[in-house]
Amino acid sequence: MRVTVDGVDVEVADGATVLDAARAADRWVPTLCFDERLDAFGACRVCMVGLEGSPGPIPACTTPCRDGMKVETADPAARRVAGAVVELVLSELPERPGAHTELAQVAAALEVGEPRWPGESHAPAAPDTDHPYLTFRHELCISCGRCVRACDEVQGTFALTATGRGFHANVVAGLDEGFRHSACVSCGACADTCPTDAIDERSLLELAEESPR
Amino acid sequence: MNDRFDSHATTTCGYCGVGCRLEAHTLDGRIRSISPAADGPANEGHTCLKGRFAHQFSRNRERLTTPLIREHGSLRPATWDEAIGRIAGDLTRIKRDNGPDAIAGLASSRATNEDCYAMQRLMRAAIGTNNIDNCSRVCHSPTSFALRKSLGLSGATGSFSDFDHADATLLIGANPTEGHPVVGARIKQATLRGMKLVTIDPRRIELADHAVLHLAPRPGTNAAVMLGIAHVIERDGLVDRAFVERRAEGFEPLVELLAGYDPDSVEEITGVPAADVERAAHVYAEPPNACISWGLGVTEHKYGSEVAQLICNVALMTGKIGRPGSALLPLRGQNNVQGSSDMGALPDTYTAYRSVGDEQVARSFEAAWGVSLPREQGYTIPQMFDAAVAGNLKAMYIFGEDVAQTDPDTAHVVRALESLELLVCQDIFETETTRYADVILPASSFLEKSGTFTNAERRIQLVAPAIDPPGEARTDFEIIAAVSRALGHELGWQGPEDAMREIAALTPHFAGVTYERLGRTGLQWPVAADGTDAPILYEERFERPGGRARFAALPYKAPGDAADDEFPLILVTGRRLQHYNAGTMTRRTGNVELSDRDVLEIHPDDAARLWIEDGDVVSLRSRRGRIEIGAQVTERIEPGHVFTTFHFPETKTNLLVGASRDVNTSCPEYKVIAVDVRPIGERPSRLPALAGSGAA
Repeated sequence: MRVTVDGVDVEVADGATVLDAARAADRWVPTLCFDERLDAFGACRVCMVGLEGSPGPIPACTTPCRDGMKVETADPAARRVAGAVVELVLSELPERPGAHTELAQVAAALEVGEPRWPGESHAPAAPDTDHPYLTFRHELCISCGRCVRACDEVQGTFALTATGRGFHANVVAGLDEGFRHSACVSCGACADTCPTDAIDERSLLELAEESPR
Repeated sequence: MNDRFDSHATTTCGYCGVGCRLEAHTLDGRIRSISPAADGPANEGHTCLKGRFAHQFSRNRERLTTPLIREHGSLRPATWDEAIGRIAGDLTRIKRDNGPDAIAGLASSRATNEDCYAMQRLMRAAIGTNNIDNCSRVCHSPTSFALRKSLGLSGATGSFSDFDHADATLLIGANPTEGHPVVGARIKQATLRGMKLVTIDPRRIELADHAVLHLAPRPGTNAAVMLGIAHVIERDGLVDRAFVERRAEGFEPLVELLAGYDPDSVEEITGVPAADVERAAHVYAEPPNACISWGLGVTEHKYGSEVAQLICNVALMTGKIGRPGSALLPLRGQNNVQGSSDMGALPDTYTAYRSVGDEQVARSFEAAWGVSLPREQGYTIPQMFDAAVAGNLKAMYIFGEDVAQTDPDTAHVVRALESLELLVCQDIFETETTRYADVILPASSFLEKSGTFTNAERRIQLVAPAIDPPGEARTDFEIIAAVSRALGHELGWQGPEDAMREIAALTPHFAGVTYERLGRTGLQWPVAADGTDAPILYEERFERPGGRARFAALPYKAPGDAADDEFPLILVTGRRLQHYNAGTMTRRTGNVELSDRDVLEIHPDDAARLWIEDGDVVSLRSRRGRIEIGAQVTERIEPGHVFTTFHFPETKTNLLVGASRDVNTSCPEYKVIAVDVRPIGERPSRLPALAGSGAA
């Protein structure tokens, strides 16, 4: 079927999403909870785009294409939603994530500055260094669920679990036993997909601290 | 990409045969992080703890950084000129006095195709002998033999992506979630999507928990299981008659043989309930597409090469070969087990398994190298050790293999190494084997060299250096070229790419291979001259005379060892997730924090009977030797069996393994060892090093 993205016509297969169509048209759509290796989750609302005939922006990663769709990736309302989401996410963090992280990159691309919402942010804790390679910095967790889904859908070990609600939502290994004592097989898929370094390689902690904000 | 590093290299993992594509990130000349390449066809953006994290060994302080020469019984640092001069001088003398066949070389399944090709050319052209082998001898040589015999080509018939399209899979004698973790994860994901998995292994491996059925045959009885499955397929009308008639031969003798392998008889031999044999056959044969995958639990037996042919039978009977989702997928152990053999680092074949006795092939290599070449087969690895002990083999040049830790019957191997006049070892660390070396050459790891590896899917993939070799260490390719030059045979290559050009020119199956075409995702051989590769083999015809596959009518025969009153338990050896083979690399990484010793798995019933508790140190004795090791009581292993690994040199597991070998390929029987287990005390009394000399 044929979809028009920012005026460019692209041919997509049945079952393709609007995000697939945008990428086929070589148009950028911001994403945060999305990872190509995982099933689309549609949780973060950063991949919003405008759709002709739709009352409001729609999430690109979970919306299937229909023949004749007309998509605007830079729709002002969609970008406003995405920027606000990223700003809210950042407002809970005790520090700006490292410049190399996906969160920092999408924030920069959406031109999100210092969060305008004062309020509670997570308190930094000492990183968990029980495991030789993997470490948690729970205060950087944004509950996007990518690590949990990578552990399930890529590795198949089911070692990570989402815990808590609202502001206290976070992620733990096993029953909060840490990587070392959980079912974790140390594959590192969680660290690889984490967009904030809340799960990171232990040996990279010092580099993360050195990196400019 | 990432601002924390100063350079990046895309390369291919040097651990197992899965062939994950990796991005290595470096800072100040050190590897700081490794991440999976998103476009790697075998790993699709995933990797395991070995590929991703176990890289600190590359700058371990124990790395060999200068050549070492033995003088007056001890090793001293030497210059490259001294070391290579000593090697060339001794080899020339031994060749003059004893003939070229008194010299043997071992290429490495850990090294690149180009390294292995250079090594076999060194032995054949510079020395003049076919005494060249590689460590696939002790793992998948039976698979290679069987696939050539039954189907034609020595390689998997499809790709790992076939698991994604299969309705069912038989997994035999393999524990991929530990040995090949990325494929293990792939199989597990397939089962979560509904693929029916049957696991066949004496241990209850992790994937058995995701299987519809787990068969636990007695070690050494795989042949009876496969014959039983074939019997049921034939009996219940599940044979694809059209396929068998059109594309294979030799079916009638097999049918006659199968008559004797009804499920009840198979239960007698294997201990697998008859109903489970029947169900396994139906799970595999009924759906349109199914795969069979196997590992060293099939091959490392006295009749391993026959069992692999019996596996081919089952696929051929049901026509489940040569299309997506229906493939035979042996899980090759090491990163380049496939390639080292493809390259002709074998005593009986040139590249692509063409016989050294084939006049036309031999002439093509003689013309290219400007020398005359022997037509007689050389020694296999076990034959090399036998010949050394007998005094017929005087010199060995071993690169990238620790035979004194990994080969069977350690005492015999050590005797062989001590008998040599010259032992040259080329490695990245001192090993159990280098204790006996006269010259040690410091080589490079996969993170420091360029070339290609060929994974278990026959996929040739580029290897690129991320860091430099430490100190004066050189790449294996440079070292072999220098030794060849010193022996008067100039290889004439600027680098590995020139070697691949020569391989392509001399090998029809590699005709279209160029580094440019390999690109980021590699090519699966055979590669036609125009660059077309072959993800699926045998879509139309088999690579055998007449294009027809060959059924093998081979009966079950008892393994080389059996439990008796003195040795009542059967020991099976294998690999664990955190470590890799001899552990030379993984023991020098954070992986030891996760697993720091070999343990003996024993079933709770056996443990209770023997008064053994979890953590006790036990004596483990076979007909060959005795070691001491800690016990781990677990239901993963069946009663009557015990399991351990050989990752730590202090354990000396391979002292226990006897001389029993595969009848066709002399692959050792690591998987069936009758043992006696009993508690001894609190601490293992480790054997002293076996080295006779005062070496470090």
